[in-house]
Amino acid sequence: MATVKYSGIEALEKLKSTEPPVFLAPSSISEVARAVSQYLFTKLKPHDPKSQLDQLWVDGFDTEQIWQQIDMQSQHLLPSLRQEVNRFVKNPEEIRKLANLALKVSHEDDVDEMDMDGFDSDEDNELEASESEGEEEEDDEEEEEEEDDDGEEEEEEEDGDNEGIEDKFFKIKELEEFLEEGEAQEYGTDYKNKKGVAKRKNQNLSDDEDEEDDEDEDEDDEFDAFAGGDDEEADKLGRARYDDFFGGKKKETNMKLKDLSEDEEAERENQGNEKLSTHERARLKLQSKIEQMEKANLDPKHWTMQGEITAAKRPMNSALEVDLDFEHNARPAPVITEEVTASLEDLIKSRIIEARFDDVQRAPSLPTKGKREAKELDDSKSKKGLAEVYEAEYVQKANPAFAPTTLSDELKKEASMLFKKLCLKLDALSHFHFTPKPVIEEMSIQNVPAIAMEEVAPVAVSDAAMLAPEEIFSGKGDIKDESELTQEERKRRRAKKKRKFKAESANEPAKKARDTSTENP
Amino acid sequence: MAESIQMEIQSVTEPEPLPCKPIFKPLKAHEMSDGKVQFRKVAVPPNRYSPLKKAWLDIYTPVFDQMNIDIRMNLKSRKVELKTRADTPDVSNLQKSADFVHAFMLGFDIPDAISLLRMDELYVESFEIKDVKTLKGKHLSRAIGRLSGKGGKTKFAIENSTKTRIVIADTRIHILGAFSNSKVARASLCGLIMGSPAGKVYSKLRAVSSRLAERC
Repeated sequence: MATVKYSGIEALEKLKSTEPPVFLAPSSISEVARAVSQYLFTKLKPHDPKSQLDQLWVDGFDTEQIWQQIDMQSQHLLPSLRQEVNRFVKNPEEIRKLANLALKVSHEDDVDEMDMDGFDSDEDNELEASESEGEEEEDDEEEEEEEDDDGEEEEEEEDGDNEGIEDKFFKIKELEEFLEEGEAQEYGTDYKNKKGVAKRKNQNLSDDEDEEDDEDEDEDDEFDAFAGGDDEEADKLGRARYDDFFGGKKKETNMKLKDLSEDEEAERENQGNEKLSTHERARLKLQSKIEQMEKANLDPKHWTMQGEITAAKRPMNSALEVDLDFEHNARPAPVITEEVTASLEDLIKSRIIEARFDDVQRAPSLPTKGKREAKELDDSKSKKGLAEVYEAEYVQKANPAFAPTTLSDELKKEASMLFKKLCLKLDALSHFHFTPKPVIEEMSIQNVPAIAMEEVAPVAVSDAAMLAPEEIFSGKGDIKDESELTQEERKRRRAKKKRKFKAESANEPAKKARDTSTENP
Repeated sequence: MAESIQMEIQSVTEPEPLPCKPIFKPLKAHEMSDGKVQFRKVAVPPNRYSPLKKAWLDIYTPVFDQMNIDIRMNLKSRKVELKTRADTPDVSNLQKSADFVHAFMLGFDIPDAISLLRMDELYVESFEIKDVKTLKGKHLSRAIGRLSGKGGKTKFAIENSTKTRIVIADTRIHILGAFSNSKVARASLCGLIMGSPAGKVYSKLRAVSSRLAERC
């Protein structure tokens, strides 16, 4: 990019001559634009009552900063400009005077400025008009700004007949023009043909530029234009339509094509525009709308409109995209912020300092009564008869002293006796000066014989002595020991023995066969 | 009696202060029945015949000596007959003696039955197992076993805790004791018949008997 410094007017001329698409891409045109801005700024500076800047600083400055500078200046200029416009509205003759003046002045200064056509943008023209109003107010009428303005001024001159109805707020001509304009936009007629086309072109261009939110420096001009708006400017913005921003259907086919049929229809419509009447056109539009709506009704509804839907019937994760609203019955969890934790900690600390812990107090137990004597169930047959039982009960109730001791009493007595014995023994062990208990002689009746007689029988006798000799031994004849026997006597004994044995064996021959082992040879 | 009435009539005619109210002694049994003798006859079941023979003297002595009631055994009709005497102090003696003998016939021991003679408020209550629950065969036998317990300990436990005497004669149950006590004993026995275990009955008995004892 060659950084060629243009002078003010030349820069402006170059800017005007560039094709609109060049503004879209970052290019050397930005330098030109900056130069233009600077030039315009310096031109307007004398008119600024509270000017603080000598010139527009663009070198090394951001878009935003440059814009701020311009804005600052334009803010100061706005009130005076408004006043001037109001004055012109009241007194149209003055415009002519000014026009002559302006012509002269312009011829002196710059030739080109006069021929500025509003082909860049309406807003741009407006701005230039407003900016140079102080000196060159013929821009208002010569340049092609709003047809309204021209129309206004022209028509103001023409008919002063309707002065009665009209006042500064209401002008019939203005009303008519407004209505016609509305119709034109609605039905696509060429309202003031050439001007309309040109206007559309202008609008489209401006729209293009408006659409692209680049860092392009051209934005400055646009914003300038907006900033320097008048009442007329405001009017125009008030009447802004979708088409102004996003273009007519025949121009913006590339950008937003959703329905091909729509487009076709639009094209068809646009093509047959001149042949059909207004009514027919209206009817066509209505028909197309009806078809659209019928088609929408026939199609299956969106899942959000279908009533009860399960997860299977709607596309995956579609519930995430829809903003669902349902009641939460549970209280939302408390958001733990630093303040919350800080407050809690403070509470804890204070409690610790006070030593006021909410400890659970053990409930005081009731004073225990003495456990009643648990009557044990006696499994055995009662020794007393029923009469005795009742008798004992009655006696206990009537005369507690005479009552016979119950089992528990006896047990108690036994226990106390045992304990006394134990204590006695312990005292014997432990006391230094132990005195044994005096013996109480018990008088008891015993069956003891009065006399103890001496017995005749010997006191101690052994068993052996008690037996008589005959009882000990019963035998006959002369008894000799084996060592005392003579030979003959031994033979005799042996023979006797053999005889005896033979006699026995003759008596029991059968036994012999059975057990041979028992025989002694 | 006639003299006293005469005296009264005389006193009415004369204007004198009214005499003191006459005090009549209670009527003797003899006089109440206008000199007639009252009888009671108690049948002897065959199973109680020999025990009666063994314990005859124990029955005879208190009835004859203390109650002043004539008592004899009619062997032909197998009944014990009781008769008032002239010197029977109270009419109720006959009834008490009859009850006493009847209790013996049901199966109660002499010392237990004697309490009927000595105390007024004792009653004998009888019921059958089938009144409580219809049981047949083995179930019935088991129920009877449950009632007595091992070696009779359940029965004794109930007797001791409620101050009653119980006789279990096959399917009949007799309870001798005061009204409230016999009610408790009956409740325990019914529980046992219905099938609750002995331990449960014991625990209930403990609770109730302590309350009974406290009350008295």
